Amino acid sequence: MSKPTLATIALSGCEGCHVSLLDSHEGLLDVLALVDLVHSPFSGEAEIPSQVDVVMVEGAIANEEDRRRAEAARKAATIVVAVGSCAVLGGIGGLRNLSRLSDVKKAAFGADSKSSRLPVLEDRVRPVSDVILVDMSVPGCAPETGQIVEALLAAVNNTPYNPPRRNLCDECHREKRAMLEHSQEFVSDGVFALMELETIDPVICLLEQGVLCMGPMTREGCGAKCTAANVPCRGCAGPSRLEFEQGGKTIDALAAVLPAGALMYMEDLIGTGYRFSLPVSVFPTIFDHEGGDDV
Amino acid sequence: MALAVYFSRCSGAFDGVIDIERALAGIEESAAVVRVVDDFFEPAVVDRMIKDVANAEIDAVVLAGHSHEHYTRSLSAHALQDRLEAAGVNPNRIVAANVLEQVGLAHPDDSEGATRKAAAIVKVAAMRATMAPEIAGVHIEPRHAVMILGITVEAVVAAQRLLRLGYSVILADRLDGGSRAGRANQMRATSGYVIGHPNAQVIDDARLVDGEGWLGDYSITLESPQGRSSYRVGGLLLARPDHTEWVDELRTHFKVDVDDDGFARSIDPFTHPAETVDPGIMVVPIRRADALERDKVAAADSAALALVLRLEQESVMHYQDVSAVDESLCGGCATCVRTCAFGACSIGDDGMSHVDIRRCRGCGKCVVSCPVGARDIVSAPHDYLLAAVRELATVEAEGDKVLGFLCGGCGYPAADSAAQAVAQRNEGYPASFMPLRIPCGGRLDTLYVLEAFKVGFDGVCVYRCREGHCHNLIGNLDMDRRINLLRAVLRSRGMDDARLRIVDISPFEGERFIESIEGVYATLGTLTNGRGGAQ
Repeated sequence: MSKPTLATIALSGCEGCHVSLLDSHEGLLDVLALVDLVHSPFSGEAEIPSQVDVVMVEGAIANEEDRRRAEAARKAATIVVAVGSCAVLGGIGGLRNLSRLSDVKKAAFGADSKSSRLPVLEDRVRPVSDVILVDMSVPGCAPETGQIVEALLAAVNNTPYNPPRRNLCDECHREKRAMLEHSQEFVSDGVFALMELETIDPVICLLEQGVLCMGPMTREGCGAKCTAANVPCRGCAGPSRLEFEQGGKTIDALAAVLPAGALMYMEDLIGTGYRFSLPVSVFPTIFDHEGGDDV
Repeated sequence: MALAVYFSRCSGAFDGVIDIERALAGIEESAAVVRVVDDFFEPAVVDRMIKDVANAEIDAVVLAGHSHEHYTRSLSAHALQDRLEAAGVNPNRIVAANVLEQVGLAHPDDSEGATRKAAAIVKVAAMRATMAPEIAGVHIEPRHAVMILGITVEAVVAAQRLLRLGYSVILADRLDGGSRAGRANQMRATSGYVIGHPNAQVIDDARLVDGEGWLGDYSITLESPQGRSSYRVGGLLLARPDHTEWVDELRTHFKVDVDDDGFARSIDPFTHPAETVDPGIMVVPIRRADALERDKVAAADSAALALVLRLEQESVMHYQDVSAVDESLCGGCATCVRTCAFGACSIGDDGMSHVDIRRCRGCGKCVVSCPVGARDIVSAPHDYLLAAVRELATVEAEGDKVLGFLCGGCGYPAADSAAQAVAQRNEGYPASFMPLRIPCGGRLDTLYVLEAFKVGFDGVCVYRCREGHCHNLIGNLDMDRRINLLRAVLRSRGMDDARLRIVDISPFEGERFIESIEGVYATLGTLTNGRGGAQ
């Protein structure tokens, strides 16, 4: 019996998810013992074969070429696995949705760029699931190697993939003290950027030190490496429930924990709450793109 | 799920305004029983409902007519609820659709708009009745013990009544015994019976430092020069509702309404002068300075009787309005712990959030603060509120549409009061204003506001209790913080934040309610960007 076939494609993104997959090193041999890798960004072929069992899609839909390739992948595949926050949530590149397309083009390519080689940009960045049906999602920027392998093997074996759903605090080893006290006061007087603090206690919860950490609003699965390294969570894996707006829930969760004024003026609320998930937020639908015929 | 919808003509109060047949057209397919009646509270109508419940195996009932508020006050409405419950309908599935005060009486000059709005409000009530899970309760046997806060004439008279019925009474006063002696002289005979009674205990110079529990079984901790002691009582009587220190101490642990002076307020000064929103806590009505002794005695009697009526029940049912935490989602981030004003949330040894149900007041702040949605309020679940926002957006209207989130403590009763103001002005407010009740401002999730703009509302009004008036202490403050942050986000995206408005209001301010609506429509007319709905 022939092995199931796997193809991987990379749309608009950084190919970091593919690098994460390659990070499995010799572990990749175990995967390749189970599947035939018929196409990948490293294989040299431009197009994926017409029929594949599983396609892993990295990257967001940002241009017409992305859309065409995503549709081709859907047509060829039995199971499509969206890997990484770009594919699942639109990702960090989705911050482009804050600006009008004409301004984006001007900033990136100059006032009168008329290149015919570049793919035509779409009006805004979208997650893959906006364009094609996605069977499995593995958010994260980039997802852990083990998570990607686990999801791909589940897809290949046609078994359920149950990604972790709790928030990051579940994995984070920092201690909560003030957060556990019953009080109507904020846990900290202000909200501080990392460089403003002379010392950061490596043991205590970052929120208690006034550092805006996205851990509560973010899905676990990464092992909380950032907070272990004294860096607050940036929310790269998106919300635990995909239907929740990460930015909206940031407001809900932290309004009684940290001073609201400081949250508003000292931190970049969009860049904090929506850094990886702006394309799946409600905002694009209520933001009036004046003269939006410049696509 | 078998649904029964009863539509009351409210004795003809909105005849000629709401076309009932059309208002019910949209619900007929999904309901097993639909009936139009003159008045729900007629015995024959109630009997008919009970028969329907048995014959059609009804699980959910919508009562379209009077306000939700009516069911917290009217005895005949209580009786109807009790009979439906006894027939097997879960109390969480008996839902009022307010087509009287908030539709029929609100839009007397817009029959078309009122009919469409009534249809939507009935549908939303049906969603609540069918989507909300059954609420579970525990039975407890009420304790025959009462704590009285403040030793006044009324306190002593009420204590005497309770002692004679075999109750034990704890009388707590802020003053020491010496300074009370002068006051006691006014009521020597009664106080002679009370003070020194084997079942009476007097605690002088007392402060209320902790409290938990509910009707029938409270645990109250007092601190006095003798030290700290905890008492288990079935009910509380606040004999000094004008003593703001007692009121503030009570409010830290229990739901107590206050008026503009910060005095404890009963649910209705005319019909229920002693009862408060917490069914086990009574107040002696605040007396006028020139009150006669007999007025004081009458007030004490009414408060004592109100307590006795509650505590003489063989058992009291307590419903748990907060759901268990979803362990597949809770990571123990503790935002709920930090948000709960009553100290009911904590993180257990298992790393999960837990709620002490004797301290929980069901405000829903923990649900909103939970970034993963691991918990819900059973009487106002997340899925229902989102679905209700979507349903209300489908109502056809010319021009702008506004959604009002009405806090059950202020905005919702204010909207009811507005019906009177409409009658006085002889002019309704726009029928394209859609009301949605939430238990507390603290239950308002930013996701509902975002959804409202997404599905096509042009403006959103959020009503909140005035500073210091929230039943849940700071539900209004937390809502303020959240919505103001959201307004900042809207501004940063180029949307005019005038589309999202916060209105301070008291329950009786119907006129102000109407002004707030007219104000938002006037502003919306001048805005061009950020119109609701997908472009």
